Formats: sequence, C-alpha cells, structure tokens
Amino acid sequence: MAVTRETAATVRDIEQYKYGFVTDIESDMAPKGLSEDTIRFISAKKGEPEWMLEWRLKAYRYWLTLSDEEPTWAKLQFPKIDYQASYYYAAPKQTPKLGSLDEVDPKLLETYKKLGIPLLEQQMLAGVAVDAVFDSVSVATTYKKKLEEMGVIFSPISEAVHKHPELVKKYLGSVVPYSDNFYATLNSAVFTDGSFVYIPKGLRCPMELSTYFRINEKNTGQFERTLIIADEGSYVSYLEGCTAPQRDENQLHAAVVELIALDDAEIKYSTVQNWYPGDADGKGGIFNFVTKRGACRGKNSKIMWTQVETGSSITWKYPSCILQGDNSVGEFYSVAITNNRQQADTGTKMIHLGKNTRSKIISKGISAGRADNTYRGLVRIGAKADGARNYTQCDSLLIGDKCGAHTIPYIETRNPTAQTEHEATTSKISDDQLFYCLQRGMTQEEAVSLIVNGFCKEVLQTLPMEFAVEAQKLVGISLEGSVG
Amino acid sequence: MKPSLITDHPFGEDYAKRLGVAPWRGHLPGPKVEEWRFTPLRSLAKIAFVPATADIDVDVIPRNVPKVPGAVRLVLVNGVYRKDLSDTDLGKGVELSHGKVAAKEGSSLVALNAAYAPASLALHVNGKAKKIIHIISIGAAGPTPTALHPRITLTAEAGASVTLVESHVGLPGEAYFSNPVASITVGEGASVRRYVSVDEDSEDFHLATSLVKVAGGGTYEGFHLGLGGALTRQEIRVALTGENANVRLNGAYALTGTSHHDITTVIDHTLPNCTSNQIFKGVVDGESHAVYQGRIHVARDAQKTNAQLVHKALFLSRGPQVDCKPELEIYADDVQCAHGAATGEIDPNHLFYLAARGIDPETARSLLVEGFLADGVNEIGDEAVREIFGAAIGGWLKRRQA
Repeated sequence: MAVTRETAATVRDIEQYKYGFVTDIESDMAPKGLSEDTIRFISAKKGEPEWMLEWRLKAYRYWLTLSDEEPTWAKLQFPKIDYQASYYYAAPKQTPKLGSLDEVDPKLLETYKKLGIPLLEQQMLAGVAVDAVFDSVSVATTYKKKLEEMGVIFSPISEAVHKHPELVKKYLGSVVPYSDNFYATLNSAVFTDGSFVYIPKGLRCPMELSTYFRINEKNTGQFERTLIIADEGSYVSYLEGCTAPQRDENQLHAAVVELIALDDAEIKYSTVQNWYPGDADGKGGIFNFVTKRGACRGKNSKIMWTQVETGSSITWKYPSCILQGDNSVGEFYSVAITNNRQQADTGTKMIHLGKNTRSKIISKGISAGRADNTYRGLVRIGAKADGARNYTQCDSLLIGDKCGAHTIPYIETRNPTAQTEHEATTSKISDDQLFYCLQRGMTQEEAVSLIVNGFCKEVLQTLPMEFAVEAQKLVGISLEGSVG
Repeated sequence: MKPSLITDHPFGEDYAKRLGVAPWRGHLPGPKVEEWRFTPLRSLAKIAFVPATADIDVDVIPRNVPKVPGAVRLVLVNGVYRKDLSDTDLGKGVELSHGKVAAKEGSSLVALNAAYAPASLALHVNGKAKKIIHIISIGAAGPTPTALHPRITLTAEAGASVTLVESHVGLPGEAYFSNPVASITVGEGASVRRYVSVDEDSEDFHLATSLVKVAGGGTYEGFHLGLGGALTRQEIRVALTGENANVRLNGAYALTGTSHHDITTVIDHTLPNCTSNQIFKGVVDGESHAVYQGRIHVARDAQKTNAQLVHKALFLSRGPQVDCKPELEIYADDVQCAHGAATGEIDPNHLFYLAARGIDPETARSLLVEGFLADGVNEIGDEAVREIFGAAIGGWLKRRQA
C-alpha cells in the first residue's frame, strides 16, 4: 500500500505545474478595459514623449476599425476574448529609482529564485546578462555597464524611448507595422514594455542576452515589444524564456518582436516557451498570439529563429524572415509539443526578395493527449530572387490516438532559378524503438522522452547550451502522462 | 429543331432561381475563400456568359481529340448529349441513361452545375466493361460567350471495372466557361480508371469538379492532364468510404502564354487500411501560373492509412508563377503520411550531358521536359491511353518550339 500511496503522490506532483505560484505584490493597475484613456494612462505612466503616444493612438484607432475581427484561419478553437475585460497595465510597485539589486522588492527576488533565476549569482555566472521583465516593467538590468562600455544598448524599450529616440523612431514598426495584424495592432496600442537591443557596427556581442518574461497579475494581458537591431557586421544571440503562474482564467498574451539585421550582421533568437498550458481538461492556460518577424535588410545578413514551444493552451506564432539583402540567410528551427488539450498553430514565413537568398526550415511537431498541433508555413520566392534556395522539413509525431497533427505549407515561386524543396512526414513512435528501450530497463516515460528528444535533436542542437539543457528536460516533462 | 437548353429541361430557369444561383456570377467563390486564394475568378466574372444552347451547328469532332483504339465515343456539345455524334454500342455491362441532376451537394460550382445542367450523362457499369468509354465534351460558344455545365455520373457496381477517357475540347468562337461535374461511385471491389485531358483554347475557362466515392476494396485511378486554357481548375475530391480502398491520383500539366492552371485534390480517409498515392508534375513557360493544392485528411478511425503526395514543377523561362500547398490533416496515430513539393529549373548539368552527345539544346530541353513529366504519365495504367497522353505532351512541346 505504501508504494501505491507514494506513486499516487509522485503522479500528483508531476501533474502539477512546477512553476504555478502567485507572488503577492501590490500592482499599479490601469483601469479595466481598453480605451484611449487606458492608452494615455499607460503612456503617462511611462512618461513617454508625444510621438510615442501618437503612435499608440494611431494603432488603437486602426484597431477599432478592425471591429474585433480576429484572424480565424488558424486551426485553433477558443472562446471569444472580451478585450474590455482585461487590464492592460500592471506594474510592480517599487521605489522610484533602483540603485542596485538590494533595492529590488525582496518578494520579487524570491519569485525569481523559485523560477531558477538567481540574479545575484547570474551576474557572476557564465556571462549572461538578464533583463527580467516582471509584469511588463523591467525592474532590474544586470551587466548593463559592461555592455554599455562596448557600445551595446540592452535596456527596457521604455527606457530606450527616452535615451535613444532616434533609433526607436527609425526602427519601431518598420518590420511589423502597426497595421500588420489584429494582435500586432493591439500590441502597438498598449505595449507596456520589453527589450531593446542595439549592437554597434562590427561588434560580436560577447555574451548571450537573455530576458525572462513573467505573467503575474491576475487578468493582465501581457504586451511585450522587443526590438533588436544588429548594425553592420555585428552578431548577437538573444534568449527568451518563459514560465507563468497557474491560473484558472485564460490569459492573453500578444507580443511583438522585431529584428533588423544590416549588412553582414547576424541575429540568433532563441525561445523556450513554457507557459501554463491549462489543466488536463483544457481549463486555464495562456493564449499566446505572437508576431515575430526579422528583416535581413543588409547583404550577407542572417537571422536564425529557434523555438521550443511546450506551454500555452493556444499558440499562434509564426517567426518569420524577410530576406531583402542579397545572399541573406533565414533559418527557422522549431519544436512544438502539445499535450492534453493544448492547441498550437505555428510555423514560419520566408520571404525571398534578394538574390541568392537562402532559407532553411526544420519543424518538429509532437502531439499527445487530445491536442492539435499544426505547422503552417509560407515560402515565397519573389521574381527578382535569382538563385534563391529553400529547404523545408516538417515532421510530426503522434502519441496516442486522440490527437491531431497537421501540416499546411504554402510555397509560392516566381523565379525559375530558385530551388524549393519541401518534405513532410507524419508517424508515431515505432513499437520497435519502444520495445528496445523497455527491454533495456527504461520506464515507458523515460523511453518516450528519449525517443522524442532524438526526434527533436536537430532543433535542440541549435539552442545555446544554457537553453539546450533546460529544453531537453522540458521535452520529457511536457509529455509526462501521455503514454500508457 | 433542337431543344433550347434553358426552357425545355426540367431544371430550367425556375430551378436556378429556387436554388438562388441566378445570377450565377454572385455564386462564384471569392478570393477570400481559402481554397480559391491562388485562383481568383475576377477575369471570369468580367465576361457576361449566357447559358449554352445545344442548337449550335456542330457536326465534326475537333481534330485535337485523340482516337482511342477500340473505344466507344460519347459526345457532349455544350453539355448536352448528342446521340447523332456518338457510338451506340457500349458493349456488355455498360448502360447509358439520362439521370436527373441531384441538387444541392458540394460546392457552389456544383450547385451552379445542378441548376443549369440539362441532364446527367449517367453510366452504369455492371461487370467488366470490355471497351474503353471515351467521353468528348465540346464547348461551342459561337457568336456569344457561353456557359456550359456538363454533368457525368458513373456508377460501378460491386466487382465491376471500367476505363473512362474524357477529352475536354473547344470549337473556335467566343470564349466559353465550362463547369463540368463528374460524380463517380466505385462499388465494393470495383475498379474505375479515369483519364481526363483538358486541352482548350487560350481564352476558355474550365472549372471542373470530380466527386469520387470509393467503397471497401475498391480502386480508383485518376489522371488529369492540363494543356492550356485561360483558366483551368481541376478539383478532385475523393472519399474513401470502406476499408482497404485504394486511390491513385496523378497528373501532369504543361502551360504557356498566360494560362492559369489549378489542380486541387482532397482525399478523405475515414476508415482504416486505405491507401492513396498522388504524383503531379508540371512545366511552366511564358507568363503562366500553376497552382497545386493537395489535402489529405485522415480521420480518427482511419488507422493504418498510407497516404503519399508529391508535386514538382519545372520552370522553362522567367515569368511563370507556381503556387503549391500540400496539406496534411491527421487525427490518427498509426499512419504513414508524407508529402513532398519542389520547384526548380532544368539542371544545366543535364543539358550539358545531352549536348556532349551531340543533341541540340532545344531537343535536349524537350527530352528533359518529357522525361520530367513522364513520372506522372507513366502512372497511367492503360497502355494505349498512356501513349496518347504522352503524344499530347509531345504535341505541346512541338507547338511551343514552333
């Protein structure tokens, strides 16, 4: 009996979302609902200049003309979102200016600890600078000085609006215009904070830049806005990782990420997304509607997206590359895991405009439980993209007979010298492989984790080391309870 | 005097009104419909087509209609069956009748067809048909742009087998809009082979829908050749309604000028142990636009499904556009499903290889194009038809060179 009890307890522990806790910090909230007043409130809170407010209002007025017309083409089902029932701004209360980490609310620091981001230690560790976003406002930025000395700007975007208005004005909305899509427009109107990165000419950023987003206040939609500019000949690797506390109500998340790579520049953007996926019946969980797009503006530039998507109840996300510069390269590596009642509709767009542009898409979708997992991608070769090259591989793995895996690629070619290739397969874990592992004394779950990790290897390998370790564990955790 | 199409058949104008399809232009799928995103019908909607009449004077079969050895010819002019131009001896096991057209099934184009189709050319096959059935659908607009709605129904009873060839051709005159619908039912253990060729003039429109149902153990083999027209779409929807059903759907297209050609296939696997294989290949030249959309749907119960799909397009010049959307929608786990798609131009190494053997560049290119399309054409099960379709492609290549 003792053994049974122990097993039951273990199962309970596993089933509970590891990062599901709520920190009790007083919030400075905007009035509920969305109106011009809300936007003025957000803008005033941040002491933004007039042009920024005007930009937000322009987006908001455009959003009104969309009259709640959310995109419906994705293979996703979710209840209608009441945009007037959310709070659009919540900032942790804090002392006016922080001199050092000691001044940060100890409760906040406690939260980070639970999340496994000991800021104090991390300063010393591995050369990772962490810009932690806690409910929309960056509270602590580390390693800033060191980066500043090299000319790297790594700051909250709200700060960049004040300190580097010329850069923000020039690039904000230049890849994802405010009129791009429903969620991007909403984000443009109400975005609260996010990261801003500028890498000066010829500099290879010596450390991985990293941000943790965290959704905390109840009913708070999160609207991050990230802008990364890699000037000529520079290189930067940016990490984004996410965990969120457990909630019963659906939380809306509509972020926008814009990347700009000039001549010979390279940006590597990696994401591990592990937001609350809802419980086994699909209750709760995050709605994740993200617009991520990079522009390879300069010749020989390169943008590489890597994503490991294991969380959220709804994922709507298509990190894309616009390959404008000649010889530019776009790459997309993705692992999307859906379990229970999660739904993911994710993929990429590769728009080839310049000559000899190359793109590579590797997508691995794993679907278990009653989940639906869709790859949706576009490869477009413009008439002037001589010698363009695309290779796409989409593999889906089904675990269990109640889930779905779908592949919807669009391939549009207007240039004869371009070569495009697309391959997609769908299969399940083979009984032979499972048998082999079980026979060698592994448990069913260990075996599945191992096999799935092998299936995803091509993608996980492209992650920076810090993330790769975490991601491998995540793959296993996400699929717990899906077999047997 | 021949009867006027609209007033004299039971589904005349009143019926169209009842269906709410008149005026027909309001009934065309718009560009926002996902399945039509690559094939806008703006150019079609601009022309004021009038419903076809059968009293147009046609007494010859156009020259580009191939002669299929030993085949029975059935001729439709503007969608109306012409006994005077057709063979009467269908051979054993095949019966011809004029069925009523079932209303309100499928898409808006099918409904449009149902509203205007004079009557269905219905073939009933019981047993093994000896002769190939060759249906020739002729569009003849005469002095006014004309819309025609041919309707073909084929029912193969359990264990029956039949081979059908369809040639869609046009006569000189104004532009026409052909909206043919074929309903095909393959019974248990039956086998239907259907080879369709669309070779129309560069100003003609052709939006064809094939609705195929395959029962358990049945086999359906389809081949669709497209060699032109202003705008051609061949939409093939196959539902596998029994276990161990088997579908092979292949095709080839060769386009030049400003032709727009669209192949859309939907294979619906609803039950276990069925297979489907698709190979479509095409070459594009001039300013043409090729579209391929292929959807494979595997339902929850359709375990042990094997579904494969390949589309490849070859560019012969700068100017054409190719849009491809192979789609997998899978709800069963124990399946083998894959699709592949590729585009590119003729490999210069291949040209060099042939040039080194004394073959001039034009001939070399033709050889390579023929070889490229052969992957699709070779899938045709009937040897005589394979040769005829191969020759049609050869003819297209010659016309292109000329």
